[in-house]
Amino acid sequence: MLSVKDAMSKNLEKSVDASNLFQRAKLDEAAAERAGYSDYSYWGSTLRVFSKNRVAMVMLIVLVLLLIFTVIQPYLPGQRNPNTVNNHPATGIQLSNQSPSFSAELLKVPEGTELTVKEYDDAWYEASNVVGSINKRTDFTCLEYGDTWCRVEYDGQEGYVQTSWLKLPDEIPEGPFTVKSNYKISLYASAADITNKGDPVYVEKKDVKLLDEATGLAVTTGETSVCSLPSETGFWFGTNNIGQDLWARVWAGTRTSLLIGVIVAMVEAVVGIFVGVVWGYVRKLDRVMTEIYNILDNIPSTIVLILISYIMKPGLSTLVFAMCLTGWLGMARFIRNQIVIIRDRDYNLASRCLGTGTFRIILKNLLPYLVSVITLRMALAIPGAIGSEVFVTYIGLGLPADMPSLGNLINEGRKLITSPSLRYQLIFPAIVLSIITIAFYIIGNAFADAADPKNHV
Amino acid sequence: MLRYILRRLVGATITLVIVLSIVFVLLRQMPIEGYFENYDKLSPAVINARLESLGLNDPIAVQLKDFFASLLRGDLGTSARYRVGAPIGSIIAQKAPVSILLGLLSMALAMTLGIPLGAAMARSKGKFWDKFGTLFIVIINAVPSAVYYILIQMYATDLLKIPMLFERGNPVTWILPVFSMSLGNTAYYAMWLRRYMLDEMNKDYVKLARAKGVSTRKITMRHVFRNAFVPMIQYLPTSILYTVGGSIYIESLYSVPGMGGLLVDVIGRQDNPMVQAIVMLYCVIGVVGLLLGDLLMGVVDPRIKFAKKEGAR
Repeated sequence: MLSVKDAMSKNLEKSVDASNLFQRAKLDEAAAERAGYSDYSYWGSTLRVFSKNRVAMVMLIVLVLLLIFTVIQPYLPGQRNPNTVNNHPATGIQLSNQSPSFSAELLKVPEGTELTVKEYDDAWYEASNVVGSINKRTDFTCLEYGDTWCRVEYDGQEGYVQTSWLKLPDEIPEGPFTVKSNYKISLYASAADITNKGDPVYVEKKDVKLLDEATGLAVTTGETSVCSLPSETGFWFGTNNIGQDLWARVWAGTRTSLLIGVIVAMVEAVVGIFVGVVWGYVRKLDRVMTEIYNILDNIPSTIVLILISYIMKPGLSTLVFAMCLTGWLGMARFIRNQIVIIRDRDYNLASRCLGTGTFRIILKNLLPYLVSVITLRMALAIPGAIGSEVFVTYIGLGLPADMPSLGNLINEGRKLITSPSLRYQLIFPAIVLSIITIAFYIIGNAFADAADPKNHV
Repeated sequence: MLRYILRRLVGATITLVIVLSIVFVLLRQMPIEGYFENYDKLSPAVINARLESLGLNDPIAVQLKDFFASLLRGDLGTSARYRVGAPIGSIIAQKAPVSILLGLLSMALAMTLGIPLGAAMARSKGKFWDKFGTLFIVIINAVPSAVYYILIQMYATDLLKIPMLFERGNPVTWILPVFSMSLGNTAYYAMWLRRYMLDEMNKDYVKLARAKGVSTRKITMRHVFRNAFVPMIQYLPTSILYTVGGSIYIESLYSVPGMGGLLVDVIGRQDNPMVQAIVMLYCVIGVVGLLLGDLLMGVVDPRIKFAKKEGAR
């Protein structure tokens, strides 16, 4: 049985076609202008003003790409571990202070160069084109004379020696003649020196044809690159003095430094906002907190940084702690000053009279006003923290060497500036560091400008 | 005025006592190795005797009282590792003059470079000098100072063909340390002077002067610059702190025999009494610098109320 109510509503449904009852109103621009309507939205305007700043946009793109790359770098193929000491596969000597290069290629040799090769792995041969050596002051036969290379025969072996080492007669006779050298000289398989100061070099198996299994004599089948390592990629940023890959270290260092920067900026924001709001909003506390601030502000932050890192065990947490200890002070004061200015404005007074809770007033009425200030300070806190890390490392209280950071790397590079050929160890981290800090600085300032409603025209 | 100065002096002294106490208590948390030249080789009895003689076994309050008592007598204690047994006061007295001279020179250079730069930037808003100055300020503010200090040392010494390290008697070697140290303050002065001058230029009296037909040059020099210069005074303490911070880098980079280099040195050697003395000295410089800035501000700007000081500076 249907109740009266149900029956009525059924009737209503029948009589009214709901689709025609309401219509979506369209924005009539003329009418809107007459009524003074504006489709202003805070974040939309902020974004628009920001995107007009071309330098900041470029910096933003650079920074975003850099950040993405920093994060995914260890997962890319062919990356080395930042803390692995790279040794030469054959000699076991550290590959220290290798100049930066994109590939491990030492030189290219033409087709037909003879080499002696030894098995290294599936794809690579360990190669040298030295087939033997001739003792000093030993007679041997020169079969064919050339300006830089001579083909000689010695002890039943045929090969090439460099002409400059030979003690030649005044008149070069036609045909084979006997010569000797005052030094011990190398006998090469072909007329080209491809050895890397005596260290073994590497060639890919597909590039050479093995002629003689027993002696390992081989010939190149085309233009072949001779590499210092059994790999095509070299050390892009070179290696440091104990043979660690600087490329990997720079990116690992960037990760560490950014991590420090982000944590410090977060803590600074959270503590600074909290203290600043309490300080500014609670009138009874103002006097006391101002006095405390005046005392704390008198301690140079550099000194706090030095003191804390000196007292505590060096490490990431110590650094972060020391930086957080001073950073929030400026933020808190700024927030406090702003809150004092706007807390008694009419709209807040009205809000309070209408019974809005303190927490809601702070969250909804006061803090949105401070977004630009807060973002600016956070954006500046990151390069600031990176800079502090460099400073603390510089005075010898920074992170241990097995935790690469930009400060660490710059400090290691600094010790080498007296030898110009090793300066790349300072330049690479310095460039990455500069890009990051400048980008944060410019973006922070541009965003603070854009977030300021005064600039929203 | 006198009451204001007196109040600020008392306030600064109280602050200083609190700050020094904090530093003192914090440094007591260090391992005691830093008070001995060769801790490992000493027997526990000897160690204890020395701790006793240094007063390190006393309760912290007693230590603090003894510390301030000896500080008032001008006794800073003796170095434990850096120069064993030498009174710290005399070591510092030996090192301080170079640092002070270097700092003053760099601040003077920063003013002679930064103030014209700031004024030029304000006058040519949006044109070459403004853009150049902005670029300079961004780089100096954003990039950690260590990086450009090192780069300057690396390339400028090659370029100018001058020795890499500081020599007291050789004036050529003073150029780079003083110049590098002044960069931060130069950017700082230029930035703030530009801002204040632009603020001042938009004021009504400047428009009136212009309407009256006073030349731009005269307006800038006589009105805008002068008025904009007053708030600049309050950045004096900050620039002193900048200089102190910069000196730590610069002095150890160029091996200047001064305080900053000494601090890096004694931290490396973990000489607790020396670290304590130098850190405290820097705190004193900080407090005195701020006090000086406040007082100067009061002298220069009569609008500052001396009676009541609400809130922070």
